[in-house]
Amino acid sequence: MSAETLQVLADVGKGKSTRGVLRVIILALIAGASIASRLFSVIRFESIIHEFDPWFNFRATKYLVANGFYNFWDWFDDRTWHPLGRVTGGTLYPGLMVTSGAIWHALRALTIPVDIRNVCVLLAPAFSGLTAVAAYLLTNEMTTYNSAGLLAALFMGIAPGYISRSVAGSYDNEAIAIFLLVFTFYLWIKALKQGSMLWGALCALFYGYMVASWGGYAFITCLLPLHAFVLILMGRYSTRLYVSYTTWYALGTLASMQIPFVGFLPVKTSEHMPALGIFGFLQLLAFLDYVRSAIPSRQFQTFLWLFAGGIFVMSLAALVVATSAGVIAPWSGRFYSLWDTGYAKIHIPIIASVSEHQPTAWPAFFFDLNLLIFVFPVGVYLCFQELADEHVFIIVYAVFGSYFAGVMVRLMLTLTPVVCVAGAIAISTILNNYLVAKTPTEEDQQAAEAAEKKGSKSGLKSATKPVVGIYGLWSKSLMVAGMAVYLLIFVMHCTWVTSNAYSSPSVVLASRMPDGSQHIIDDYREAYQWLRQNTKEDAKIMSWWDYGYQIGGMADRPTLVDNNTWNNTHIATVGKAMSSREEVSYPIMRQHEVDYVLVVFGGLLGYSGDDINKFLWMVRIAEGIWPDEVSERAFFTPRGEYRVDGEATETMKNSLMYKMSYYNFNNLFPPGQAVDRMRQARLPEVGPSLSTLEEAFTSENWIIRIYKVKDLDNVGRDHISATAFEKGLKKKKTTKKRGPRVLRVD
Amino acid sequence: MRWLPAFLTASLAFASGSLAAKKTSEERFNSFHAKSIASSSAAPIKLSDASYREFTAQPRDYTAAVVLTAMDSRFNCQLCREFQPEWDLLARSWVKGDKSGSSRVLFGTLDFADGREIFMSLGLQTAPVLLLFPPTVGPHAVPNPEPLRYDFSNGPQIAEVVHSWIARHLPDRPHPPVKRPINWMRWISTTILALGSLTASYVAWPYIVPIIQSRNIWAALTLISILLFTSGHMYNHIRKVPYVASDGKGGISYFASGFQSQYGLETQIVAALYGLLSLAGISLAIKVPRISDSKTQGVAVLAWGGIFFVTYAFLLSVFRGKNPGYPFRLPPFV
Amino acid sequence: MLRSTSPLLSLFAFLLVWGAALVSAVSTTGNRLLAVFDDVGEKENYSKFLGDLEGRGFQISYETPKSESLALFHLGERAYDHVIFFPTKTKGLGPNLTPQILVNFLNANGNILHTLSSTTTTPNTLISLLAELDITLPTERTGLVVDHFSYDTLSAAETHDVLALPPPVPVRNDISPLFSADAPAGQLLAFPHGVGAVLGPREQLTPILRAPKTAYSYNPKEQSEVLEANELFAAGQQLSLVTAFQAINSARFVLLGSAEMLQDKWFLAEVAAPGGKSVKTFNREFAKRVSAWAFQELGVLRVNWIEHHLNEVSAVNESNPHIYRVKNDVTYTISLSEYAYDKWTSFSLPANDVLQLEFSMLSPFHRLPLSLDKAHSSPEASAYTASFKLPDQHGIFNFKVNYKRPFFTNIEEKNTVSVRHMAHDEWPRSFVISGAWPWIAGIGATVSGWVVFVALWMYSAPTDKKVGSKKTN
Repeated sequence: MSAETLQVLADVGKGKSTRGVLRVIILALIAGASIASRLFSVIRFESIIHEFDPWFNFRATKYLVANGFYNFWDWFDDRTWHPLGRVTGGTLYPGLMVTSGAIWHALRALTIPVDIRNVCVLLAPAFSGLTAVAAYLLTNEMTTYNSAGLLAALFMGIAPGYISRSVAGSYDNEAIAIFLLVFTFYLWIKALKQGSMLWGALCALFYGYMVASWGGYAFITCLLPLHAFVLILMGRYSTRLYVSYTTWYALGTLASMQIPFVGFLPVKTSEHMPALGIFGFLQLLAFLDYVRSAIPSRQFQTFLWLFAGGIFVMSLAALVVATSAGVIAPWSGRFYSLWDTGYAKIHIPIIASVSEHQPTAWPAFFFDLNLLIFVFPVGVYLCFQELADEHVFIIVYAVFGSYFAGVMVRLMLTLTPVVCVAGAIAISTILNNYLVAKTPTEEDQQAAEAAEKKGSKSGLKSATKPVVGIYGLWSKSLMVAGMAVYLLIFVMHCTWVTSNAYSSPSVVLASRMPDGSQHIIDDYREAYQWLRQNTKEDAKIMSWWDYGYQIGGMADRPTLVDNNTWNNTHIATVGKAMSSREEVSYPIMRQHEVDYVLVVFGGLLGYSGDDINKFLWMVRIAEGIWPDEVSERAFFTPRGEYRVDGEATETMKNSLMYKMSYYNFNNLFPPGQAVDRMRQARLPEVGPSLSTLEEAFTSENWIIRIYKVKDLDNVGRDHISATAFEKGLKKKKTTKKRGPRVLRVD
Repeated sequence: MRWLPAFLTASLAFASGSLAAKKTSEERFNSFHAKSIASSSAAPIKLSDASYREFTAQPRDYTAAVVLTAMDSRFNCQLCREFQPEWDLLARSWVKGDKSGSSRVLFGTLDFADGREIFMSLGLQTAPVLLLFPPTVGPHAVPNPEPLRYDFSNGPQIAEVVHSWIARHLPDRPHPPVKRPINWMRWISTTILALGSLTASYVAWPYIVPIIQSRNIWAALTLISILLFTSGHMYNHIRKVPYVASDGKGGISYFASGFQSQYGLETQIVAALYGLLSLAGISLAIKVPRISDSKTQGVAVLAWGGIFFVTYAFLLSVFRGKNPGYPFRLPPFV
Repeated sequence: MLRSTSPLLSLFAFLLVWGAALVSAVSTTGNRLLAVFDDVGEKENYSKFLGDLEGRGFQISYETPKSESLALFHLGERAYDHVIFFPTKTKGLGPNLTPQILVNFLNANGNILHTLSSTTTTPNTLISLLAELDITLPTERTGLVVDHFSYDTLSAAETHDVLALPPPVPVRNDISPLFSADAPAGQLLAFPHGVGAVLGPREQLTPILRAPKTAYSYNPKEQSEVLEANELFAAGQQLSLVTAFQAINSARFVLLGSAEMLQDKWFLAEVAAPGGKSVKTFNREFAKRVSAWAFQELGVLRVNWIEHHLNEVSAVNESNPHIYRVKNDVTYTISLSEYAYDKWTSFSLPANDVLQLEFSMLSPFHRLPLSLDKAHSSPEASAYTASFKLPDQHGIFNFKVNYKRPFFTNIEEKNTVSVRHMAHDEWPRSFVISGAWPWIAGIGATVSGWVVFVALWMYSAPTDKKVGSKKTN
């Protein structure tokens, strides 16, 4: 095709209004696409809440909707952490529940009767649409090309890194937090550019919302001061910075302190100190700035700057002292383990045990961001071209975001937005260079050479020469075609990843039959339903903490520990009960009034996420509290293997967890043929025997096994002899007893 | 450890019961304690076959903590050499903290060179071994006189950890804390270094400023760090993965199989690929449109575009290797 | 056990039960009594004892172990409420009375009175049942208790195998004297040809009648000539002649060392301790009390109702709320009745014993004595109460009354309540706290200062451009 036709094509949408309309339409479509791509799970399975934490959020939301806001605020939950209970209202981030509650009430007001569960299930996709729009706004602050914004919106909409936490049904804090994150950043940039209090206040407002929604708000709390600090170091202090930052900090901190869970942390803990420090430092700078404008003397100014630096250093020292003195709480473990990466494994096994706290291998990056992961540096590099304040922000964000994402898998989430923005900038730049009809003429060339003679002011070496443009039509078409291919691959990749990796609600497992048809394994819900229908309203269920939220949400029964791991000792108690002999565990269970014990067992199906595989964590956590009674070493064979078959250590075989997992298991097989399909281990001839527990329920595929804790023996025997007597074994004569007689004392 | 059996057989010849001292436990404790507080280097007491027997003889009204170790270079017992200074530190600070001996604890070290018979009689196959002999008589006596054995299974131990272990088994007695001596040398050197660097920077200021303020350098640093992090370097750092591993057939495999694992070299290759792609992208986005000569520009477009395409295709194939069942591919790596 | 939320309702229910108790004056757990003999003819010897039982409203059916029709359970339900075993010569009791069945009978709230005799050996079944209850009989399943100092001079001047004992006194001074209460002075209890048992340390066991210090047990067949010290089965007070066992579910089992003491002739006989004058035996009364205890007519306690409520002014004092707040003042009341043969009476604690209330989560935070409150007591029921302040610790707590005493029904009552934290609006306002005044003053100063500053700023016109430009940026 020729240049003329291209010209004609380009003329369409020249007018401003048409462009505006187009932009709105495109954005709407993008939002639609990002919502649609998150509905796989609903279509494949059903409208169900996923995984673990969402079940608690769902339960909390139902409580909020049922009992109103103030009861929710003061909610004392006596059905978790039995018998301690949990001050739930004061220990959660209410943003998510309040949001969906508000939506539900709004729909009710519009006379649209909708089940709160559907609101919860579809909240994340809905907010992902908003996130796309926010990304569009943020990117438009960075470049002059509008195409960049649209691309960013598209990327944000379908990037797997974000979809992983926001498919329909994964009703977690991140669902709304990412939107708030991006939008807060947008407002921050806006405020910084205009130096306006209004935008700063808006930024603070959304920051408050973010704090109410997700613990990850600390990321903002640290990034904004860092940005400001870098700007100051670059000698870019300005009244704009002063106004926007101080507005944001003052209002934002006030807002964040309204959340009971946060309370006074912003003035007490190290995570929040940078923000406070920069706030103070800015006051100092403003003062010095004023003095400088008043007293224009060279030496005096240098003295002033040294003075400022000195004060900064001193305040830093003061901070360190205060921390060591304990006035300021040191980094919270979860947060500290980001810096000292070995810390958690040694000191806080409970954090290290969580899978999403593991470091990220490179395939994960590529899996979640595909081509963006290497277009992203290009965008960052472009930001260096004209290094305005907002570009500095992108650069700082990029570096720290990628560091955190490398340390913790789940923080891929905070990296994704900046990747999308930078990637969009890069790709739009390329497209803008190659997707133009006009070819450079002679005079352009002259002008260019002339400009080159003068030399340009841009700091980047690669950008010293002025832009000429692309000559050959074929090279343009080549590049455009290439880009089109890459983008197509990107879209297909995202769809593929979403549908294959991120759309299964780990409550229901899907497996393929030999003939390729899908087979649903629904043991979890089967077991929870059994609990709900066959046990007392207040029957206490003991299980490992992973299942606490699900039991609370689906079975509606009190649990000892759950995924909100606020009390390590209590968890260790459960760990001890699981990893000790029956004689030790029984008193513990009696003391905690346990009625049923629930274990997850994958040995029959080859299901990897079962309790025997998690067992070592229980042992470790218990050992942390009772080093003399539980020892991880005792669960390994002399050759240092962790085995469940005949070679397993006595401690292992006698542990409650082992017994509960393999009780009656070898009745499924011909004698001596029992095989654990998960660990490929051949089990001993005779299975374990239980005397203090009795099997109450085992699900279809044996994934969940529930045991009832026996009551004390009626005539006061210990359980072992009681069961022996039931079996009809003759009690051996104790009349002829050696040694001194034991006399009864009344 | 492999070394012991050989030496045990060798030392069978020397095996000869040495007479245990006929002193009372009180006297024994006093003498050993006096010895240990005599000089700072005397704790822990260096034991031999005979003195070991006396040291741990029953009845005893004190606790005896003994490390059986093999410091001799022949045994190349890494753990022993790492643990010994910690042990000495612990013993010294304890003895210093409790000169009166009110905690009734004695610290001793028995090297294999001095105590083969003991090693043999205990049937020890590995070193180091930390034994804690509880008192059998007196106020702190415990029913069974068998020594407690410290577990060295998880790597070399620091003094504080061992201290807490010992303290745990010595209830209701003073536990002098471990005091690490202040390393003056390090402090002095660091201060000197700091001052030196300050002066140097002051002198070289005019030359440093352009470097600090050069955008290119900062850009380069930023990109490099981003590439490092996004290519899974932190994973290597935390998980201490091997640099390369050998595939079964004598060759070396560059790429770990499995989605959640990687090798050191692998990440570097990936980083290089990313770098190349980014470079191509940068050139296409910034350099090429600025080339004023159409010919060279055409060549540049072709070259960079080709590089971009091929590298991407290769990356895709690598990823497919990690994640079988990944459907997308580009020529030439189909 | 009867429990209900509101006192009134429970009182009503309680009256119903009481009325029911009046019409058939009998045990609280039913009146179907099974007596097991070798041959039913023997029951003539026990006519008075059995007559007394029937007089107390029991329907006695007689069986022999061999009979096919004998079954303790019918369709999984107890066919009888109580069982008496009289001495049988058979080695075992057959398939209808295995130890397992007997233990299940106890677990199903059935009561057993089991009599021994030195003239017949005890069946294996019962031996192994006793083993489960931690009671040991002499080897060879027989033995004879003799005492050369307190024997009956009239009937056993030579053999010394008829013990003449004073009515039993409680082993501890905080146990109520059920079996010896108001026994006429000088009364003697005849214990002919009895077997003594040795009790294990199990807490469910209590001796009702212990052998005197000078008594011992031997095996007449083998040890008739000489008895070596290490062959001695047991002697003195270690020998329990009449033993009470009360299971956790309060099912009762009594081991009566001598069946003969229930026979008519010993009911009527006169006995005389060495050097004492002869008196009529106390056996009939003792037999009545022992059987009454075994068959849930004596020492039976019942919880009529439990009530706890907020004990604060300006509070809605609803009964038994499910949730309290930390540091609330609460009152707990429990109403108890005791059964005596044919009616429910108010339960009064034995001397030097207390009824305790625990308020516990994992471990007790409070352990308080409950005191009698007259207001809620009646001739049929006595209420015990305690008022206290909840601990400053939120969680799920239990009001727990755990009253387990020998000869009394086990009482273990647990009422679970949640104790919540302070709600956000239950704290004192800031201006109430004197410590907050400086800060409040500070806020006031800042606000007013700002207002003043703004006012000044507004009214001070810009002098020149510089100020104006400063203002805008």
